[in-house]
Amino acid sequence: MRIVIAEDSTILRHGLVELLGLRGHEVVAAVKDGEQLRTAVHEHRPDVSVVDIRMPPSHTDEGLRATIDLRAQLPGCAILLFSQYVETNYAQQLLADQAGGVGYLLKDRVAEVSDFLDALRRVAGGETVLDPEVVRQLFAATGRSGPLAELTAREREVLDLMAQGRSNSAIATGLFLSAGSVEKYVTSIFTKLGLPPSEGDNRRVLAVLRYLGA
Amino acid sequence: MTGRGAATEVPHRVWWPGPPRRTARETGWLVVAGVASPLALATVIAVFTVGVALSPLGLGVLVIAGAVRGMRVAGALHRWLAAVLLREQVRPPAPVHLRPGLWRWVVARVGDRHGWRALAYLVLRLPVAFAGFAVAGSLAVFGVPAVTYPVVWFFAGGSLPVYDIFSRTWPGTLLWAVGGVVALAAVPWIVHALAFADRQLVRFLLSDGGLLQRLRFLEETRATALDDAAQQLRRIERDLHDGAQAQLVAMAMKLGLAKEELAGADIDLDQVRTLVDAAHGNAKQALVELRDLARGIHPAALDKGLDVSLSTVATSAGIDATVSVDLPRRPPPTLETIVYFAAVELMTNAAKHSGSPCLVRIEEYGEALRLSVSDHGPGGAGIMPGGGLAGIAERLRPVDGELRVSSPPGGPTMVTAELPLPR
Repeated sequence: MRIVIAEDSTILRHGLVELLGLRGHEVVAAVKDGEQLRTAVHEHRPDVSVVDIRMPPSHTDEGLRATIDLRAQLPGCAILLFSQYVETNYAQQLLADQAGGVGYLLKDRVAEVSDFLDALRRVAGGETVLDPEVVRQLFAATGRSGPLAELTAREREVLDLMAQGRSNSAIATGLFLSAGSVEKYVTSIFTKLGLPPSEGDNRRVLAVLRYLGA
Repeated sequence: MTGRGAATEVPHRVWWPGPPRRTARETGWLVVAGVASPLALATVIAVFTVGVALSPLGLGVLVIAGAVRGMRVAGALHRWLAAVLLREQVRPPAPVHLRPGLWRWVVARVGDRHGWRALAYLVLRLPVAFAGFAVAGSLAVFGVPAVTYPVVWFFAGGSLPVYDIFSRTWPGTLLWAVGGVVALAAVPWIVHALAFADRQLVRFLLSDGGLLQRLRFLEETRATALDDAAQQLRRIERDLHDGAQAQLVAMAMKLGLAKEELAGADIDLDQVRTLVDAAHGNAKQALVELRDLARGIHPAALDKGLDVSLSTVATSAGIDATVSVDLPRRPPPTLETIVYFAAVELMTNAAKHSGSPCLVRIEEYGEALRLSVSDHGPGGAGIMPGGGLAGIAERLRPVDGELRVSSPPGGPTMVTAELPLPR
C-alpha cells in the first residue's frame, strides 16, 4: 500500500515508517502537522493515511480537522486516526459523514503489528474500524435507550464486533458461533434498528452508526 | 509595672497624654511631620502638574505615574515616622502589582489606590500641621515667659515683649505666672489631641486598607494560584504525552515487530537484535523522562527536608552553592515545597548570571521563614514584570510571601524571600 503518515513525535514517526517499510508498504510521505498532511494527501493520493489527532500548532485536534476536510474534498480518501486517548466526541465527528474508509485506533494497538496492519488494510478497503475502547466509551455515552435497548445481550455483542469492523466469519470465530447464527443475529439487529434491506445503503455501516449514536 | 510600656494603650485613657517622654515624641512628630508633609505635598503636586501639562506629549502619563509613585513613597515616609515617633504601627499596603508592558505599567501606577490615599493623607494632614504649629507653638511661646515673669519683674521690672505681658504690681505678675503654668500644662494635652487626630489619619489612609484590601488580595492570589496549578497540570500532561508515552508506544511497536519475527518460520536474528536494542533504548529513555517529570512534580529528596533536597540539587545540577538551613522545626509541607522550588530557581539564576559561588540560607526570622540567596556576580538583577524573579514573587504571593531584591550594578546580589510561618 502507498501510505502517508502524519505524526509530530519524531520517535513515533520514524517507528511507523520503519514498521510499514519492514512489512513491504511504501510510505510516500511522513509529515508533522495538519497543514503538511493536507498538501501531502492532495499530492500523493495514498491508499490510506495514518494520522495523529494531536499535532501542532494547536496541539488539540489538528489531525481530526484535517481528516474531516480531506474526506469532504476527496471522497473515498481513507484515513486511520491514531491517538493516545479516546475522545468519543472525536469519533462521532469522524463518523458523521457515514462514508466508511475511516478508522480510529489507540496508539497502543501498534504493539500487535499484524492486527494494526490488518486494520489499516480494512480502512484502505473502505471499512470502518474502531478501537474496542472507542466503542466501549461510545456505547457508554449513547446509553441504553431507544431501539438499542431492545437488543439482546448476544446481539449487542455481535453489534459491538461489527462496530470494530469485523466480518461475519470473524465474529463467528470470535464468539464461537456458527456462521449461520451470526447471520441470524445480524438480520435481527437490522430489523430491531429499523433498517430494511435496500440497494444503496450499507446496512452494516448504518447499524454501527446507529449503535454509536453518530 | 509590667514593663510592656508603650505597647499597651488602654482605651479609656486615650485622652491622657502619658509620660513626658511620650509628649516629647509626639512633639517631635508634630515638628518633623509638620515640615515634611507640606513639603511632600508641594513636591508631588508640582510633579503632577508638570505631568498634566505634558500630557498632550504622551510623556505626561509617565510623569503622572511617577507622581503617584511619589505619593506612595511620601506615604511610606510618614508611615515610618509614625511608627518611630507615634508608635503607630500599621500594615503597609501591598506593592503595586505590575505586569509586563509599558501601558500596563502606567495603568497600574496611575491607578495605584494607595498612592492616591497617601495624597489624601497629605492634604488632610495640612490643617493638623497648621494647628500644631499655631496652637501648641503659641501656648509654649506664651507659657515660658509668663511663668518666668515674676522673677524678671523682680529684678528688671517692666513688661515682656511677647503677648503684652505686663503688670504694675508684683502680685499681679504672679497671676501671669499662674496663666503660664496653665498654658504649659495644656501643651501636652493639645499635642496629644493633635497626635490622636494624626493617628486616625495614618490608620485610615496609610495602612493596607484592612479587610477589603485583604479580600481583594486574596481573590487575586487565589486566581493566580489556580491558574498556576492548571498550567502545571497541562505541562505535565504534555510532557507525558510527548515523552514517556511516545517512548513506550515506540517500544511496544518494536517489540511487537520482534515478537512476530520470532514467531515466523525463518528468523532474521540480526533484525530482531536491532529491534530489541531499539526497544531497550526507548525503555531507558522513558525511565529518564518519567524520573525527570516526577522530580519536577515533587522531588523525593524533599521528604528529608530542605537541607538535604537543596544540597542534592546543587550537587546534581553542578551549581557551586553552599546551603545552610537553620530552622527550629520543619515548616508545613506546602510551604517547604514552595520554598524549595523558589530556592532552586534562585540558585539556577545565580549560577547562570553570576558564575560565582552562591550562598543559600534558610532561617526563621521573627514569625517568618526567610530564604536568601546571594552571590558575588555582576548584579543588576531586578523584579521586572514578566521576568523570572517576578514569576517567583507571583508564586510566593498566595502564601503571603514577599520577595526582595538587592542587586546594585557590580554586585553583590541578594534575593530574599520571606514567608510567614503558621503559628
